[in-house]
Amino acid sequence: MARATRVISQTKPRNADDASESGYLDGNDKELLACLRAGDDGCYEILVRRFGPQVLATAKRYLRSDADAADCFQDTFLAVFESIDKFEQRSTIATWLRGITINQCLMKIRAQGRRQEDSIEHLLPVFDEKGDRINSCTSKRSCGIGESIDTAQMKRLVRETILELPDTFRVMLLMRDIDGYSTKETAIILGISVTAAKTRLHRARTALGSLLKPEMERLKYHADV
Amino acid sequence: MLTCKEFDDFMVDYLEQDLPVWQKFMCWLHVKMCRECAGFVRDYHRAIKLGQKAYDAPGEPVPDSVPEELIKAALSHRKST
Repeated sequence: MARATRVISQTKPRNADDASESGYLDGNDKELLACLRAGDDGCYEILVRRFGPQVLATAKRYLRSDADAADCFQDTFLAVFESIDKFEQRSTIATWLRGITINQCLMKIRAQGRRQEDSIEHLLPVFDEKGDRINSCTSKRSCGIGESIDTAQMKRLVRETILELPDTFRVMLLMRDIDGYSTKETAIILGISVTAAKTRLHRARTALGSLLKPEMERLKYHADV
Repeated sequence: MLTCKEFDDFMVDYLEQDLPVWQKFMCWLHVKMCRECAGFVRDYHRAIKLGQKAYDAPGEPVPDSVPEELIKAALSHRKST
């Protein structure tokens, strides 16, 4: 667990804000960090106000309820306040905070216990005895035609669909595809083998694709994806 | 040639460019020859991209505002520690 915490706090996700992170800390970050380490109350308020929206948005991605996200928000800043001296400046403050937030979310999900998760087997590919793929209608949802949808609606639909995935698969998908950790980093953080992480990721993506496919066809969404 | 099931087993490694050259070639060939798997790969890529688009880049400004009481609670936690 300690190793996972270290990895998640210090790993710089690939697809996040890399371009702006080439020097890791810009002038604003350096100034804020110095001020935080000096114990200035005003700087802690600046930190919470500047990065609070990002922390809350990340918590809402991983946790299903707003109340849990609010708890995670508090726990994240508490952890930050306690560990600001340990920040090694190998990423921006934003990236460091995101790692701590995700770690707090994972602890919360684990603390809630492993609930009986819905099976996603019906969303996975089916093969015949020769190993050939059998195409089948995999979504439980009914299909209509003719509605149009804009990008904002599509984003909401996709977020809601990701939330439908069981925690095991949703967390894997979010960490790997949204927050940009590598498969190996994600495996270490989650305490599973790389092979298990790859299997989980493949199943998560496949399930998401199966859930979204009929929606895309039904809603005639033709965005450039 | 690989079966669809074998291709499916290799898929994450194939997409992450994490296969030896020969297996990579076999996967590539399978996708070229199999319409079902080509469609599956297309849907799979689309799901990844839609997921990423749904959240935009995590580092960008987040429109969600934080309730004032949440900010105040976080700051009061610090004072109490």
